[in-house]
Amino acid sequence: MTDQAPAIFIALEESGFAAAIRQSLWLYPAANVGHIVALVCFAGAVAVIDVRLLGGLAATAPGRLIARARWFAIAALIGMAVTGFMLFSAEASHVALNPVFQLKVALIGAGLVNVALYEFGAKSAVADLPPGAAMPARARIVGAVSLLIWVAVAACGRSIAYF
Amino acid sequence: MKTRSEASMIRAVSFLFLAALALLSGAALAHHGWGSYDAAKPVTVVGPIVTSKFENPHATIMVRGADKVWTVTLAPTSRMSSRGASEKVIAVGNNVSAYGYPSTVEKDEMRAERITVDGKTYEMR
Repeated sequence: MTDQAPAIFIALEESGFAAAIRQSLWLYPAANVGHIVALVCFAGAVAVIDVRLLGGLAATAPGRLIARARWFAIAALIGMAVTGFMLFSAEASHVALNPVFQLKVALIGAGLVNVALYEFGAKSAVADLPPGAAMPARARIVGAVSLLIWVAVAACGRSIAYF
Repeated sequence: MKTRSEASMIRAVSFLFLAALALLSGAALAHHGWGSYDAAKPVTVVGPIVTSKFENPHATIMVRGADKVWTVTLAPTSRMSSRGASEKVIAVGNNVSAYGYPSTVEKDEMRAERITVDGKTYEMR
């Protein structure tokens, strides 16, 4: 525990919830494995969405493919949030001050803003396109930015332990 | 049949993933989890254990050495257990000899390569 962290993170690390995660033989490793399994599902679903936005997988209408893949992405994101919160709680005061973790949180925020940009800026132009149609530029941009952001988030996540 | 734009898109995506892979493996080579510890200056801390946490992600003990109180980072609890280094082995009051590397980040902290308690040595890596 470091007392340099904001009080809320110290309180989280000192909570019974966080202590239970640290003191259990299997909770922390289980959260670790669960986080990676959720990551794999999330990366797969996001890759399908982003590749479709970039013009690949063109045999299926984009609206249909993206709507399907989105449910996997949302479920996996919830799984990542739950397991991530467990891993974070166990060492909250240190991790909150970790520069790579801070960058990761900022990138996740950027990734969610990018989702909003798709929802409100590109979705209407994509939803009713037939299979094989050229994708509008803004859909391609959102897809490319999404791929870059989420790959960077994964790289940051793996790097937290080394800083 | 692949269209031209699909082929170039697949190339772009492949490149992104390879770049990410290179980044990750680069980080792994540079650190190995022991990166913030100075392996060129190994230290051996001998003394009584004053605090003991048998917790994940790493067990930690504080040891009153000859010069100062060291925070000694050990292994995850499952590995500790499988090597025989149980909670009892690192209990407060036990005398320990910890060989490891000082942190380059945290003051008075070291990561143990191995510890010896009661004449028995336990590997931590």
